[in-house]
Amino acid sequence: MRSRRATVVAALLALGAAFAVVAAAYATPNRAAAPTAQTGSDAALVKCGKTRSIGLMAPFTGPAASIGINQVHWAQYYQRTYNATHSTKIKFVNEDTMLGSANGTAESVKGAQALGSNPSVLGVAGPAGSNEVKATTGALKGAGLGFVSGSATNTQITTDGTRTGYFFRTVPPDSSQSLSVSGYITSKLKVTKVYIVDDQEAYSIGLADEVQAQLKAKGVTVGRDGVSQQQSDFSAIINKIPRDTELVYLPWQLPPKGQAFGQQMKSLGRGSVKLMGSDGLFDPLFSGLGSNVYDSFFPLNPSDKRVKAFKKLHGGASELFGAPTYVATQVVSGAIDRACANGTASRAEVRAQLKKTKISKKASLLGLPVSFDSNGDMVKKPFGVYHSVNGVFVRVG
Amino acid sequence: MRGPHSFVRSYFPVNWSLFFGELVSGLTLGSIYALIALGYTMVYGILKLLNFAHGDVYMVGAFIGFFVLQWLGGPLTTAVTGWLAIAIMFVVAMVGCGALGVGIEIFAYRPLRNAPRIAPLISALGVSIFLQNSALLLWGPQFRSYDTFDLIGVKSYHIGPNFFISNIQIFTIAASIALMAALTWLVARTRTGKAMRATSFDREAAEMMGIRVDRVISFTFFVGSALAAAGGVMFGIVFGQIFSLMGFTAGLKGFTAAVVGGIGSIPGAMLGGFLIGLTEAFATGYLPGGSTYANLYVFALLIAMFLVRPSGLLGSPVIQKV
Repeated sequence: MRSRRATVVAALLALGAAFAVVAAAYATPNRAAAPTAQTGSDAALVKCGKTRSIGLMAPFTGPAASIGINQVHWAQYYQRTYNATHSTKIKFVNEDTMLGSANGTAESVKGAQALGSNPSVLGVAGPAGSNEVKATTGALKGAGLGFVSGSATNTQITTDGTRTGYFFRTVPPDSSQSLSVSGYITSKLKVTKVYIVDDQEAYSIGLADEVQAQLKAKGVTVGRDGVSQQQSDFSAIINKIPRDTELVYLPWQLPPKGQAFGQQMKSLGRGSVKLMGSDGLFDPLFSGLGSNVYDSFFPLNPSDKRVKAFKKLHGGASELFGAPTYVATQVVSGAIDRACANGTASRAEVRAQLKKTKISKKASLLGLPVSFDSNGDMVKKPFGVYHSVNGVFVRVG
Repeated sequence: MRGPHSFVRSYFPVNWSLFFGELVSGLTLGSIYALIALGYTMVYGILKLLNFAHGDVYMVGAFIGFFVLQWLGGPLTTAVTGWLAIAIMFVVAMVGCGALGVGIEIFAYRPLRNAPRIAPLISALGVSIFLQNSALLLWGPQFRSYDTFDLIGVKSYHIGPNFFISNIQIFTIAASIALMAALTWLVARTRTGKAMRATSFDREAAEMMGIRVDRVISFTFFVGSALAAAGGVMFGIVFGQIFSLMGFTAGLKGFTAAVVGGIGSIPGAMLGGFLIGLTEAFATGYLPGGSTYANLYVFALLIAMFLVRPSGLLGSPVIQKV
């Protein structure tokens, strides 16, 4: 009797755990994205004072922490330079979004709610991922907060109208990235058989869909599959990739996963197949795989003196993934400063100032001027293609 | 005249390259699950406790292996040969995690041995969260790479048309089978194994027969945790990367393997591990949306097993006097 009860308890535990894993890995964040009630904080005036608070949403921990910490370092680098050169100061209210972990979406929503209920926060830099942007929209919009991402590239998050006037980004959308990628694959690499593996996140699926459609339109044979961000064993999916495949496209967000995929390709005798990553894989871990590696990345001016100073500050580490987050922080900080010109500001005033952002080419770090169109996208939005040469990405297109 | 091969090929158009590829992938992954499942099943067999901290012991094992490799000079400049470095990583991780397992048993489970069964279960969940967060605090959230390519130089062997198997896959499968064989010998042929079986059968009677039950239970935790550590190091070697939250899903799969095989049964745990690994690999290779829903297929297998054979493949229903 007791044994049977134990079996039933074990079965229920296992069933619950199974649902937890499956649901966490594949759930869409619609529920989380539902708008929360207006808090009234939208128009509430806050005394600006000498120190202004900016919410910083990034994956401080979790599987994407390697790129998240890089974004945080860039944001902190902006804070350091700003505080050293201005009479007013900025401080961050940090919220960890745990991007890529099983409960990442829920954590980002919790973080957004915490920022929304903190009256001193006037604007937000982040979050990093497109899925998180979708998930946190309800909470941030409900609290009247404008938010500027330095890495969320999914095309629809600005064009679907859900967060217009609230959300802005300092990276070009995937529609721009997909054109650069598909163009380079067909016209420069002259590849005719491509396999795309997405990572089941909104960013990845959206980008993969666009590249797939564009490649098909150009007569390329395209296979498609997906893996979970939690996955580390790619051998089963690598076996499935047809032997005559010339290039595998990985629009992923986690460089260590890209590295693991490339290593497992080699160990299964597929080391000669070209690998093309997206902006999320623009990292030495991925470029270090070899000369068969390509990537696409945001516009950036690598010769900018701030890039060099950042590199010096971080012991020679020049990871550039977080550089647009520097610009995102710059945008939020600038909007708060302008809104605070008379000593007080509301979140609505900050949002209005975000729309009016104008950063010159010289001041933007991206190598192009930053201003936003009515959707919240940058007016100028080119994407570059890079090739790994001796383990370092070099721009080729 | 058509040979038997061409006959088979024309009537059963199987993609053998894919089939063998998935078979090897499944066996490799299954080896790791089997090693984790053994710890679950041994502890359950002896204490009737679901040790949910076991997956995190596996994670700690992977990290110990990683730090031993760094201590030896890193993958590029190892002080000893690559394979010797791997042997040292295994030994240190297994001993370290064995000691950790004994510590967990003494501090978290032994005081609750006579408490209602839910109490040690909650304690196990607490230990799991404690280990996860300690790892996060001590080693950070980032991935760590074993860089096996630099350490031993991965070689692919070309067997038949378009079928490859790497030296690392061969090593993983062979090492797991060797460890399982050693465990089977330990349990079936040694005095300690006999004491373990006696304790598992009836703890009080075993105690009355002079068996030091506490020592046997500690030894069981030591062996189970050491096997999990071996699984963790193997994971790092085969799949390259480890991170502080890797124990949760792996622990869940190991638990599933133990249940599918028949919790409490050592051969069942091994069989369950391989079955789960093969299910994942073949689901990825053959079923629609397979890689996306591989976990769904794995846990569907678990549910089906409960419906059809609640005691698992090799578990036997226990009749209890009421």
